[in-house]
Amino acid sequence: MVSSRIQRQLSICFITISICLLFPFQVLAAEKKTIGVIMTGDIPYYSKMHKAFTAKLSREGYGDVQVLLQRPYPDQVSWSNAARKLIAVDVDIIVTYGASVTLAAINERTSIPIVYAGVYNPDAIGITGKNITGSISKVPASSLIRYLKGITAITSLGVLYSDIEKESIKQVEEIGDISKDLGFKVVKINIRRPEDVRKIKASGKLDALFLTCSASVNMSLDAILEIARSNKLPTASTLKNENNPGVVITLSASPEEQGELAAEKVIKILHGARPNALSPTNSKNIELIFNLKENMAMGFKIPMGLVTEATKIIQ
Amino acid sequence: MKFIFNFILLFFVISMPFKVFAQEEILLGLIPEQNIFKQMERYRPLASYLSEKAGVKVRLTILSRYGDIVERFVARSLDGAFFDSLTGAMAITRMGVEPMARPVNLDGKATVRSYIFVRTDSKINSVKDMKGKKVVFVDMATATGYLFAVAFLHENGIHDINRYFNEYFFTGSHDSAIYSVLDNRADIGSAQDTIFNMLASKDPTIKRELHIIAQSEELPETTLCLRKSISSKIKNRITDILLHMNEDPAGKKILKKFGAVKFIRAEAGDFNSVFNLARRAQINIKEYKGTR
Repeated sequence: MVSSRIQRQLSICFITISICLLFPFQVLAAEKKTIGVIMTGDIPYYSKMHKAFTAKLSREGYGDVQVLLQRPYPDQVSWSNAARKLIAVDVDIIVTYGASVTLAAINERTSIPIVYAGVYNPDAIGITGKNITGSISKVPASSLIRYLKGITAITSLGVLYSDIEKESIKQVEEIGDISKDLGFKVVKINIRRPEDVRKIKASGKLDALFLTCSASVNMSLDAILEIARSNKLPTASTLKNENNPGVVITLSASPEEQGELAAEKVIKILHGARPNALSPTNSKNIELIFNLKENMAMGFKIPMGLVTEATKIIQ
Repeated sequence: MKFIFNFILLFFVISMPFKVFAQEEILLGLIPEQNIFKQMERYRPLASYLSEKAGVKVRLTILSRYGDIVERFVARSLDGAFFDSLTGAMAITRMGVEPMARPVNLDGKATVRSYIFVRTDSKINSVKDMKGKKVVFVDMATATGYLFAVAFLHENGIHDINRYFNEYFFTGSHDSAIYSVLDNRADIGSAQDTIFNMLASKDPTIKRELHIIAQSEELPETTLCLRKSISSKIKNRITDILLHMNEDPAGKKILKKFGAVKFIRAEAGDFNSVFNLARRAQINIKEYKGTR
């Protein structure tokens, strides 16, 4: 009788000690968060964004957060697979760079919070929802065209886009509207795969090239610039690329700022904020870069009046 | 020998006053209201015309920035300048320069207004929506690119722009301020209507993309003011040429290039609207430096 009572008391004691020992670990384990990140293609703009994102997390004391990075090839299946993988491992937050991967994550109908960055015009392509917030990288295409027109007369503008990237299609439509006001022809050139850059040469007479924010287009940047140089076509882009600064005019939201804005939102969500309570943030840091060296090599001049507008000049 | 010496002495005595007092050239300053290249392009034909007609070489120099205008006017020994409304008011008050003539623009107005504008897709419709945004001004010494905006903000309860806005910066020219908002490099801008309308007439996307939130009362257009100590003969000659150049076919051509139909006489009283605006902005023009 006594022994059974002692036995029972010992059991209770053992269980209590076990619970006490295990409890802190459970709490700590609950605090260890995992963030899934999807960036499509191997694009320096997104890499820069990601670097700024992780650096900001570290600076704010979230360096121990586990970051699972997915780099799908720019196509629908790869984007969906990347999103599904992160949902399967039950990450706490999904961070997406660019519109296509954001849409892929939304299409999986997950309740996991999604924080996007580097999305050009989220409202226009249906990037909205209870569990979604992010930072917007919109820059006006009309400004880029205005600067291009300062370099050369434009009657025919080649617009490089991808027909599987909604945002890129929206940009083509935007340029179409501008062309009606400014009186030039838009030649749409669909770049889905690297070999599609050959279509540029086959598109007839062009005066300049406009590179949309398409991941496929930006992955083929080297080949596109080579064609532009040999055909003396000034180029304009909405994505800054420091690895290959050969684009003549770039008007771009700072990738560093986009990454940091995403990190700020992630931290707030980790602290319990609801994503829909955090309104999307517009970029405040827009850079206008003129590559005078590239432009001169093609035999064009940028009027001094335009050069003075630049936030950065490559000479 | 004595005769020759006396003759030479007499010659010097007679010719000296002409050499000392005859003004052979006039140096006029230009305010960089547009970027300086466009500004020179606009004023150079006018200076050549004045030189030819007045028989006095008219040289131009761009004042690299608006601020410290009084100090720069003196330091560069300028004879006059085409001042905008605020620098004109400052120069009249502090240096006693005399307003002589101002252009009548192609729309028939000899006045300008200040616009406060945003991008149409910015969702900014009121001062309340401007909180935490990025603002671009032209220069602290412009009425249309700064003073009106400050007065407007004061009247809407914003007394400390450092606190109310996330950031603000100065571009130094009106066209740059307009391009900054167009490019999304700034959320809100302030600039002169004539430059805004000129750019919009060349590029129809500008009117579609920018929305004017507020506009000032009419202020005097850029005015030629001359130093008091210049001989009244030269002052009158220069002013007469400007006032009558629309009657001369060659003058008409120059005016067309300049973007005006004629020049009209200017007076100190034209600047009353600027003094009034300065009071609304709680700025004392007598002491205002126009620099940070």
